[in-house]
Amino acid sequence: MIKLKHTVYVLLGTALFYASCSNKSEEAVQPNIANETITQATLKFTNQANSADTTSCTYTFHLDNNDNVTSVDSTTLVLKANSKYNGVVYMLDQTQTPVFVVSNEIKQRENYHLFFYQPTPIASAPVISNTSPYIPGTPVSASVPPLNLSIVRTDQDTNNPPLQIGLSMVFTTGAASTGKLRWVLRHQPNAKNGTYAPGSSDLDVNFITIIQ
Amino acid sequence: MLHIYYIFVALTIRTVLNKYTLLLIFIPFFIVFAHGQGNTTMPQVHLSGKIVDAFSNVPLAAASVSITGTPGQVLSDKNGLYALRAHPGAVRLHCQYIGYASVDTLITVSKEIQVNFSLSPTTQSLSQVNIVSTAAPHQEIATQNLTILQGNDLDRTRGLSLGDALKSITGVTTFQTGPSIAKPVIHGLTGARVLILNNGVTLQAQQWGQEHAPEIDPFIANQIEVIKGAAGIRYGSDAIAGVISVKPKPLPTDTGTMNGEANAVAMTNSRLGAFSAMLEGALGKKLAGFSYRLQGTFKRGGDVSTPNYLLGNTGLMETDFSAALQYYHKNYGIEGYYSDFDTKLGIEYDTDVGSLSDLEMRIAEGGPVTLYNFSYFIDRPYQQVNHSTAKVRSFYNFSDSSKLELQYAYQVNTRKEYEELSYSPSLNPALYLQIHTTTLELNWEHKDGSGFSGSAGLSGMNQGNVRMYEYLIPNFIDYDGAAYAIEKYTHKNWLFEAGARYDYRWLRAFAFDANAAKIDVTTTNYSGVSGTLGSTYNFSDNFKVTANYSATFRPPSINELYIDGEHASLAEFEIGDANLKTEHANDFSLTFNYTSSWLAINAEGYYNQINDFIFEEPTGTFYHAPGGELLEFQYTQANVYFRGLDLGITLKPVGGLEINSKSSLIYAWNETINNYLIYTPPLRLQNGVAYHFGKIGSFKDLVVGGEDIYVAKQKDVPAGYDFAPPPNAYNLINVHVGFKLLINKTDADFDIAANNLMNVAYKDYLDRFRYFADEPGRNIIFRLRVPFKILTNNNRSINN
Repeated sequence: MIKLKHTVYVLLGTALFYASCSNKSEEAVQPNIANETITQATLKFTNQANSADTTSCTYTFHLDNNDNVTSVDSTTLVLKANSKYNGVVYMLDQTQTPVFVVSNEIKQRENYHLFFYQPTPIASAPVISNTSPYIPGTPVSASVPPLNLSIVRTDQDTNNPPLQIGLSMVFTTGAASTGKLRWVLRHQPNAKNGTYAPGSSDLDVNFITIIQ
Repeated sequence: MLHIYYIFVALTIRTVLNKYTLLLIFIPFFIVFAHGQGNTTMPQVHLSGKIVDAFSNVPLAAASVSITGTPGQVLSDKNGLYALRAHPGAVRLHCQYIGYASVDTLITVSKEIQVNFSLSPTTQSLSQVNIVSTAAPHQEIATQNLTILQGNDLDRTRGLSLGDALKSITGVTTFQTGPSIAKPVIHGLTGARVLILNNGVTLQAQQWGQEHAPEIDPFIANQIEVIKGAAGIRYGSDAIAGVISVKPKPLPTDTGTMNGEANAVAMTNSRLGAFSAMLEGALGKKLAGFSYRLQGTFKRGGDVSTPNYLLGNTGLMETDFSAALQYYHKNYGIEGYYSDFDTKLGIEYDTDVGSLSDLEMRIAEGGPVTLYNFSYFIDRPYQQVNHSTAKVRSFYNFSDSSKLELQYAYQVNTRKEYEELSYSPSLNPALYLQIHTTTLELNWEHKDGSGFSGSAGLSGMNQGNVRMYEYLIPNFIDYDGAAYAIEKYTHKNWLFEAGARYDYRWLRAFAFDANAAKIDVTTTNYSGVSGTLGSTYNFSDNFKVTANYSATFRPPSINELYIDGEHASLAEFEIGDANLKTEHANDFSLTFNYTSSWLAINAEGYYNQINDFIFEEPTGTFYHAPGGELLEFQYTQANVYFRGLDLGITLKPVGGLEINSKSSLIYAWNETINNYLIYTPPLRLQNGVAYHFGKIGSFKDLVVGGEDIYVAKQKDVPAGYDFAPPPNAYNLINVHVGFKLLINKTDADFDIAANNLMNVAYKDYLDRFRYFADEPGRNIIFRLRVPFKILTNNNRSINN
């Protein structure tokens, strides 16, 4: 009687064991979906003196099927010397259908985001304040000719008091020079205070910049 | 000796304090005449019986029985059963158990008899000078170092996570990810190399992740056993560093009883509250043989504070439940068990760094830039983990005292990780992983009168893993099979042990090809033999020396083979290697054990040589994520070794005074590249003193204690593998007061402890979040445990 009982348990256990082995769900591989990806980040500029004079620069991240970046490429930003440009940000996540316009979402979450624009090389340390678009800690070089570019953010969020965002800005160029523009998007939930330090970077790229 | 629990530790409590011990002896032992004839030609006859708690009738495991005037003793097994041999005639039996009054009885032996003991908890138990609490219990591998956390030591960890609870054991520490996630580390190794058993079932979760804490509610345990050393032989390959076994107490067997217990824990730091309740009983009359237990835990904590600031979003919430039902007959039984563990763990704000420059900035800042207010709210980033286990176990005891056990278990682990979102309105987790595991194990244990005992068995496992959202590891199916045998032989002062095991693993992974639009199917096989060889020599009843050599192997885990992605918060980009081989450990250990009435010393030296050890190495290149650069790490293999010393000393010089000293020293070296190994635990010293006052007024078992924990700075680190240098040494002081008070005719346990009393700001090398913040500051913890009886055997309600 007892032995029979045990035989039943053994059979039951074995049956369950094999039943669970026949699961095929592992073979149905789910697609890789990342909540947040930036595939393209663009700065678009319009010359204040001539609205037909536009220029832009684009940074592209090429992704593999695992949504990992396999390569990047960027275009050169070419600006006219001694000019003023109105700039706007345009960022995309092309892994989603329809294409997700990241910059629109950032506008909606403007109280958590802050853009920084840092030309390099620079001859002297930039002024750092809660209205400065420059990145603290940027190395200063007196010997290398600087990139003659200054930037002012022109938009404000709904924090109280309001803080800048940097989705739109004015670029002012000086004499002809070359260098790089470092562009950083800081994500600062419940912590935005106008400075660079809080939060983490969502975007951190460099464009070769030519002022001619 | 007949019994496999042949024990070498003397149990004499011939000390000044013996008077306390004997004050409250309760002697309701009775003699039952069992199966018939003793053979008069035999020089010795069998004595056996059961040792139970006189009040609850719960069997007492590891209680000792000895015949006065003869060396040696035996210990009861987990069902409270013991067996020994005696010469016919009058013998004096001495039965004792830590925390209980011992019993001496004179019996006349002429044929096989059964002598049962009912031991009463002594209210003076804590003032007993009885160090034999560390006496060896039933060990699957007798010659490996086993430490048991139980009784008051375990009670004082209530409310902590499993990892933190084990930190009081020499050679054991934790690898943390902030204050809420702790993985146990044994002899310098963690993760899949430490196997965790939850009520006899090997925990099968997403164990590979450093930020994946074991999904176990420590409130279910009344014993946590830790085997230090390569214990793969019995519990399956992978256990290269050790095994942690979380054991609930055996289900009650005394018919018609119902008991309960309520636990409450409150902590000032994080304002954590934990409540756990348990109800158990054994049915009577026609349903005799059935027993049950229901247990549940609820835990909720808010943001943790360091001495100087609050750690934002470090709250946690945990809901656990378990149920057990057992049918037990004279020589067979079946048990069903189900447990469910559900937790939501907040991950500290500002640790979700997107790039190396962010991480470097955080390290330079040393602490959070933003100050947060206390909250119980758990925001992104957080983890939501559920683990459920169902188990059916049955056993049959044969007349020749051998035992056959069959266990079936099914586990589902679901892990969802929610990252901090910048601009996405998504409500989805970043990562979803579900692993389901079926195991079937057959184990046969035998012992005979000639000194041989052992076990042999077969085990099989099937595992499947399904992922969604971001890619980190692929889906996989895994089939494992194993066969093992361990045999022990005891002769006079010697114990010899040998064992062998064969494991086979079949692993098939399914992943999208990273470059082509197709699914990659990769199948790999791993197999290998593990072995153990050990011996114990008892120089005297007080002193024994044990040596053990174990060889085990571990196949590469799924992440080591196929990981391909960003490691959130560490600015690391990890790449697996599909061609990794199995790693092989050769672990030598030598243990000295001295136990007397006033002094206990346990010293273990070990040398664990691991060939083809799998670890991550920086490739020196950078991965360009949109948020910035990440350092790239690739899994690789090298020959390494770990050597170390664990030393535990307990001294009870006078009265109720108890002095404890624990030291863990470890050194790890990578022989292939001639460099240190990263994340090796630094020297750790724990020195404690406690005074047991006994009864003062209405306070019973009053104990006051304090300990100092010193953790040295790890200086032996490889250059270029870490983002910041190891933090400085630190010194913490913990104090506690414990006592029993009578509440509604029951002794309720109270314990008040202050951890990090001096509110020292420090960082721990083995905390991944040391880059971002300090460790928690002062924490005052209140613990209350109230056992209660609902029904006694005559079904009369005595409560209310």
